[in-house]
Amino acid sequence: MTQPARPLAGAIGALAAVATAWICAVRGPVSAQPAAAPPAQPATDEAARGQRVYQKYCRECHGQQGHGDGPGASWVSPRPRDFTAGRYKIRSTETGSVPTDDDLLRSVRQGLYGSAMPAWDRLLPDGDIADVVAYVKTLSPRFSTDAPVPVVVGEPVPSSPESVSRGEQVYVRLQCGKCHGTDGRGTGAVTTDFEDDWKQPLRAADLTQPWTFHGGATARDVYLRFRTGMSGTPMPSFRDTASDAEMWDLANYVVSLGRKPVWSMTAEEISSQYAAEAAEAKANPVGRGRYLVDTHLCALCHSPIDAQGRMLPGLRLAGGQMVKVVPYGSFPAGNLTSDRDTGIGAWSDDELKRAITQGIRRDGSRMLPFPMDWPGFAALTPDDLNAMIAYLRSVPPVYNKIPTRSRPLLPLYLWGKFKMLILQQDPPIIFYPGNAGDRGGRS
Amino acid sequence: MKRFLKWALLVVVVLALIGFGAFLYFIPPFFVQPPETFSKPQNDAAPATAAIADPAERALAERGRYLVMTGGCIGCHHTPGPQGPIFATYLSGGLQFRTHEGVYVSRNLMGDPETGLPRRTDADVKRVLRSGVFPDSHVVSYRVMPWGSYSSFTDEDIHAIVVYLRHMPAVKHRIPEPAPPVPFTDPLAYEEAYAGKDYGASAVVK
Repeated sequence: MTQPARPLAGAIGALAAVATAWICAVRGPVSAQPAAAPPAQPATDEAARGQRVYQKYCRECHGQQGHGDGPGASWVSPRPRDFTAGRYKIRSTETGSVPTDDDLLRSVRQGLYGSAMPAWDRLLPDGDIADVVAYVKTLSPRFSTDAPVPVVVGEPVPSSPESVSRGEQVYVRLQCGKCHGTDGRGTGAVTTDFEDDWKQPLRAADLTQPWTFHGGATARDVYLRFRTGMSGTPMPSFRDTASDAEMWDLANYVVSLGRKPVWSMTAEEISSQYAAEAAEAKANPVGRGRYLVDTHLCALCHSPIDAQGRMLPGLRLAGGQMVKVVPYGSFPAGNLTSDRDTGIGAWSDDELKRAITQGIRRDGSRMLPFPMDWPGFAALTPDDLNAMIAYLRSVPPVYNKIPTRSRPLLPLYLWGKFKMLILQQDPPIIFYPGNAGDRGGRS
Repeated sequence: MKRFLKWALLVVVVLALIGFGAFLYFIPPFFVQPPETFSKPQNDAAPATAAIADPAERALAERGRYLVMTGGCIGCHHTPGPQGPIFATYLSGGLQFRTHEGVYVSRNLMGDPETGLPRRTDADVKRVLRSGVFPDSHVVSYRVMPWGSYSSFTDEDIHAIVVYLRHMPAVKHRIPEPAPPVPFTDPLAYEEAYAGKDYGASAVVK
C-alpha cells in the first residue's frame, strides 16, 4: 500500500484496501476486566509455576479461574473442562473418584482426541506439564480431601471373533444402542444429543470413528471408559451391571466397530464413503446444516461477544454483534434464529439463498463482499445450501431486534473513501463487544 | 472574453469536484456490479485438483478444495494488492489483525518451502485449525484464527483440507511474525462514535 496513489487502480481494488486492517477488537486488555482477577497465589512452588503456564496456554479455553469459560469455550464441542468441579471424564479411577496424576498428565500430554484439546507433549517441556497439572489440582478442593481410588483392571480378554460376538450381546443387554445406536453410529438411538452436568451440549460418541474417542481407542482405553464411567456425562460406569470379562468383550466389540478413516482409504473407498455421507446429509439435512453452520463461521459474527471475547449466553446466532466497516458504516450482524419478528422466521428460502450466496438483503440492498464471505458461499452446493437453511430454521427462536445499519454522514464517508482510495490508508473492520440488539425486555 | 473564461474555469472546477466526489462515493462499485463479479474470480482462484496423480489423494483434495473455498480461508489469507485481493497467489497471506494480544499478519499458506505451509507438519496445521495452538506453542485468539468454529470440522474433513493445502503452488511471500499489541486507539477510524462503546454494558461481565 505504499505505491503512489493511482486513483482508479487503487479504487477498484478496494476489497483489499478495506480488509487490510481487520481489527478484531476485543476492547481493552483481558487483564483489565473486573472479573479477571487471577485466583490466589497457590501454596506450592510447583503450582505457582503451573499457574503461570496455565495463564499462558490454558486460559483461552479453560478460563482465567478454571471454570471452563474462557473466550474459546463456547465455540468448541465438547466444552473445556471446568476444573473447579474436580469431575473428569477420562480416568482410571472408580466412579466419583478424582483422577490420578497420571490420568491428568496423560490428558495434557496426548490431548483429547476428537476435541479442541491438543497434545502438549511436543509443545511444552515435561516440567511445565507437571506444574500445570499440580496447579489444576489446586482449583478444586476435591483433590485435597479425596484420594484417587484406581480401579483394579481385570485380566484382559484378547480380541477374537468369539469375544467380539460375546461383546455384541453385552452391547445389546446393556442397551448401549439407546444412545450410540444399534450400529454404533446413532442409528435407532433414542437420541444422540445430550447435555453434561453443566448443561452444555454433548453428543454420544460415534463408535465407528475410534480416532475421535477422547481417551484413546485401544481395547484397554475403551474398557476403562465402561469400567469408570465418564463423570459429568450421561455415560455411566458398568461396574455393577457387567462382569470384568464382559466389559473386555464389549471393548473388543466396540473396537471392532471402527471403520477405516479416509486417510487410509483407497480412491474407491473414499468415493463410496463420500457418497454415503451425501446420502446421509440428504436424509438428515438439519444435521448436515448444523455441521456447515458450525464450521463455516456463521456463529463467529452472528453471535455477540462480551468484552473478554466470550459468546453472550443464550445468544448463539441471535445477531447483534456490532461490526464497524470503515468507512462504510456500522453493521449489526443479523439474527439468524427462527424468530418470526426479529430473525429469519419470515424469510423465504429464496431470500435466504440470495443473502447467503449473493449478498443481497431481504430489502434488495447489497452487502459488501466482506466481512460476510458470501462470495465464498456462492460455491456451496445446492444440497448444502438447503441443509444450512433447514438447520437455521430449526434453531429455536430468540427475540433480538437488530437495529438498522448506520452510515456515516456524507462528508465523513467521502473523507474516509478519500483516505482509503487516494491516500491508500488501510481502513479497519472493528468488532465491538456487547449485544446491539433489543431483547424486548427478555433475558 | 476574460470573464467568460473565468466562469468556464469555475464551472470546470466545480464539475471536476463533483465528479471526484461521485467517484469517491461510487467506487469501488460494490453495490453496482453483479454479485458474480466478486464471487467468480474468488472461487476460480482456488487451484484445481485435476492434476493430482494419486486418485485417493485427488478425491481428498477435491473435498478439501470445496471446504477451503466455502470455509472463508481467503477472507484473511489473501494478499492485499492495489487491485484488490491478489487472487493469482490465492492464500499467500498478508492481512493485518490488531488485537489486544498482539498484531498478527495472516500466514502464507502456499507451497513455498521457505515462507509457506511446507514449513509446518500436517499435525501442526491440524492443531492450528482445531485448537489455535501454533508450533511455538503460543495460543492465538479464536477472533483472529477462527479455530473455535473450525474445531467442529471432523478429523476427516480437516485431513482433506490439509491434503488440498499440500498441493498449493509455491508462492514466496514472507510474513512478519506476530508483534506486540499497539494501543487500541485507532487514528484511522475517523468516526469515533462507537469507540469504547459497549453494547452490552449490563450483560458483559459475570
